[in-house]
Amino acid sequence: MEQPRRITDSFPRRRRGPGRPPGRLKDRKDKNKDKDKAQLKVRECPRTPSQPPPDPALMEMLRRFDLSWEYGPCSGITRLQRWERAQELGLSPPGPIRDALLEHRDNPDVTYRWDGVGW
Amino acid sequence: MFSEQAAPTAQGLLAPPSGQPPTFPRVPVAGYSDLSQPFRLGERSFCRQYAHVYAVRLAGMRPLLERRARGRWGDDIALRRLSELQEGEKCCVVGTLFKAMQLQPSILQEISEEHNLVPQPPLPKYIQPCDELMLEDELQRIKLDGAIDVQRLVTGTIVAVYGREEEDGRFLVEDHCLADLPPPLPWSGPSSDRFVLLASGLGLGSMSGEALLSTQLLVDVVTGQLGAEGEQSCAAHITRVILAGNLLSQNTQSRDTINKAKYLTKKTQAASVEAVKMLDEILLQLCTSVPVDVMPGEFDPTNYTLPQQPLHRCMLPLASAYATLRLVTNPYQASLDGVRFLGTSGQNISDIFKYSSMDDYLEILEWTLLAGHISPTAPDTLGCYPFYKSDPFILTECPHVYFCGNAPRFQSKLLQGKEGQRVLLVMVPDFSATQTACLVNLRDLSCQPITFSSFGADAED
Repeated sequence: MEQPRRITDSFPRRRRGPGRPPGRLKDRKDKNKDKDKAQLKVRECPRTPSQPPPDPALMEMLRRFDLSWEYGPCSGITRLQRWERAQELGLSPPGPIRDALLEHRDNPDVTYRWDGVGW
Repeated sequence: MFSEQAAPTAQGLLAPPSGQPPTFPRVPVAGYSDLSQPFRLGERSFCRQYAHVYAVRLAGMRPLLERRARGRWGDDIALRRLSELQEGEKCCVVGTLFKAMQLQPSILQEISEEHNLVPQPPLPKYIQPCDELMLEDELQRIKLDGAIDVQRLVTGTIVAVYGREEEDGRFLVEDHCLADLPPPLPWSGPSSDRFVLLASGLGLGSMSGEALLSTQLLVDVVTGQLGAEGEQSCAAHITRVILAGNLLSQNTQSRDTINKAKYLTKKTQAASVEAVKMLDEILLQLCTSVPVDVMPGEFDPTNYTLPQQPLHRCMLPLASAYATLRLVTNPYQASLDGVRFLGTSGQNISDIFKYSSMDDYLEILEWTLLAGHISPTAPDTLGCYPFYKSDPFILTECPHVYFCGNAPRFQSKLLQGKEGQRVLLVMVPDFSATQTACLVNLRDLSCQPITFSSFGADAED
């Protein structure tokens, strides 16, 4: 399995088209708004369309970097800050992590530390 | 009195005034550099936990402590982490101390409804015989027993212990060591007498007229308007004045306005406004004559957590027009004429006093130097900024003058280290209580107190 499964994967993503939930008396305007909202739900996360989704192996490597105790606590600081702190303290963190972090600089999933709430 | 070194041909005050009064130019400022950049905070973010401070402190001091441990107990001792400990094996562990104190004020206990307790009043000391010491490293913690003085040590100190683990999970300590004095700095002090005046606890805004007279006398001595020509020529050798905190009195901190209704307190001015105006006038007199470094203290209008940021110059409009006024941070480090000064306004020492059995302030000051850290209790019981990159309170070089402000009385000691360190430890007394300031001679690192007692209504003769 390439990507970790979420609990919400068991609920199929549905476009809310003509079959609207009962009890909502709305007029034509709201129907269009609903269509746009449904469109947004399908997309994963706000990202520039030109970037490919991050490699799951990369995310796994970053997660392992977060959880390794030698480099100190991981919460509250970005991964790059943690890497640079480890470098200054002489703990020799692995170089490929830094390259990966700089390469995916604009991707918030990559740069920010692992929250502990999501994959 | 430093007027013993006064020019012998100088006239006394009982002689008729000379036609052309002599002027004594102040010794020029030579070689000043402000080294308190690590204590200045730019963008501040409080979204972090304090675990980072402890992690960085341990990681930063671990190599030094491992070196000291090898030097003390032999090169072949086993240095282990707590997770690698084996029962009965003699080894050395480096970690952070944590002292579990029953009387330590805890905010969670105060707001806990099930206890229904009145919050405990502030005590002078929170130590008790049943306190326990734990050693923590990156992953685990263990209780310490044996040849270690539980009452004397405080939370946050990085220490190396030598001993073995017992069956019941305690660590039996046979010996322990601290980081010891940091490496010495080369000495390039001046060859002639240069004095620096250290004063703290001016305590303005306390409604006491006597204290103001002593402050004015202090300013007059420094600016050379007091005494005969002998004293004036000596005052010309004072190159700098450092005010180490508590420029405002504790009375300016009254919080009655918070509890009263808004319509009653609308026109009241905070007590600190008047006090800061007085401070501005005093600093103006000083700044026209001598460079002044002003450090904030516990009762001054700046942030509460260490490192305290400098007072804002808009509060001192008259004095900040002069370039001789320097507003500096609370732990303050500077190089004056080749002599390295490092000092605080006293919050770190008084906090250690509350949580340790050490009673003598000078002993605590010396102990912080031996522990290699300005304020080990910092995030635990003393407010501290949540650093994440490095702990700026770790002592990496041994200063030549290490001072602490707002002490109950004047004390000083010249400490000699094994690697050639020479440190002058100075406890600068609280001026509003003792009317005493200190004069440090940069040439030979000697220190003498100078007292400005005035005759009050109830003074003894």
